[in-house]
Amino acid sequence: MNDRELIGRVLAGDPSAERAMYDAHVDRVFRLVFRMAGDLDRAQDYTQEAFIRAFQRLKEFRGEAALSTWICSIAVSVTLNGLRKIRRAREREIALDDAPPIGTGAQEAEPDLKVRLSRAIDDLPEGYRTVFLMHDVEGYTHEEIGATLGVRPGTSKAQLSRARAKLRTALADFVRK
Amino acid sequence: MHDDDELDENMKRAAAEYHKPPGTPRENMWEAIQRGRQVKRPPQSGRVLAFPRRWVPWAAAAAAVLAVGIGIGRLTVPHPSPSAPVVANAPEAPRKRESAYGLATVQHLGQAEAFLTLFRASVRGGGDERLASATARELLGNNRLLLDSPAGRDRKTRVLLEDLELVLAEIAQLSPEPRSGDLELIREGMERGGVLSRLRTVVPAGATSRQGAL
Repeated sequence: MNDRELIGRVLAGDPSAERAMYDAHVDRVFRLVFRMAGDLDRAQDYTQEAFIRAFQRLKEFRGEAALSTWICSIAVSVTLNGLRKIRRAREREIALDDAPPIGTGAQEAEPDLKVRLSRAIDDLPEGYRTVFLMHDVEGYTHEEIGATLGVRPGTSKAQLSRARAKLRTALADFVRK
Repeated sequence: MHDDDELDENMKRAAAEYHKPPGTPRENMWEAIQRGRQVKRPPQSGRVLAFPRRWVPWAAAAAAVLAVGIGIGRLTVPHPSPSAPVVANAPEAPRKRESAYGLATVQHLGQAEAFLTLFRASVRGGGDERLASATARELLGNNRLLLDSPAGRDRKTRVLLEDLELVLAEIAQLSPEPRSGDLELIREGMERGGVLSRLRTVVPAGATSRQGAL
């Protein structure tokens, strides 16, 4: 069944088509949302919210992008807004300098590339971080990222290049060791 | 360069462990989605037909964007003039085109600055997502044209246009259904990236009011 047929059946109120649409896309959406949120409860909440919105707005889907891209774009938007709310709440509660980065638990100061990289990724500006996670971690193409974020593939490439440069800078002293 | 490539590869490998997702909790989420869909019903209010409270600034911004679009068109499409000696003008054409793109860029950035300023003010006063989204889409179109034009060859301009593209895309993708807080969150993201302040730095005073000259 192609996207068009599936959407037609969902809009007609077919529960099995709703489940089929969910099954077809949930893994990819959940993986990306978890990478961005770094917390199971939040990732579940954001994924659920993304599908609720997708079902609500399905009649607005015009087929300009693939259905998977459209659902991902909703999920990214829901996740970014959710993370911003958390950041805002934290900033109200504690001084910025003492705030731990979003999406990570307490971490020991280990001189380990993964730990250092993890912190550096957390510290990336939002746009750079999203593109880096989508491309270098989850394997999206620049065309897919562009369609998901509503930007040109060239912009996605530029953001990735700047994200990598920031990570290289953040890891420079580690590399020299 | 080689070191950078090697580091990028190492980073990529290490990043695979970053927030590594567990298996998808399909059934749990599906049940929650079903419950959520029963609770949430699309609003039945007459919002679509209601006259937007803050339509004037958005409509003005939309009109301004259209004017800029027309201006860009006028500047970039050649107008053969029977009285003008075409051969004599030929060596000057590339320079004229460059300056035309520069002018169009400044005016586009001026429009974007005006729009984002209105957007920021409107968020505080209760904005209209539909109009904001439509205006952002118009600006996004112009932004893409400029990125693909010779104006995008200048590195500083390109970086600003690309960052602006992300902000405009986010506003353009706003749901037509009102969601309290979404606009406020976009505004916060916009200020965090400093796009508006960077626009103000590059746009000369009065750039937006000169569009009639086009």
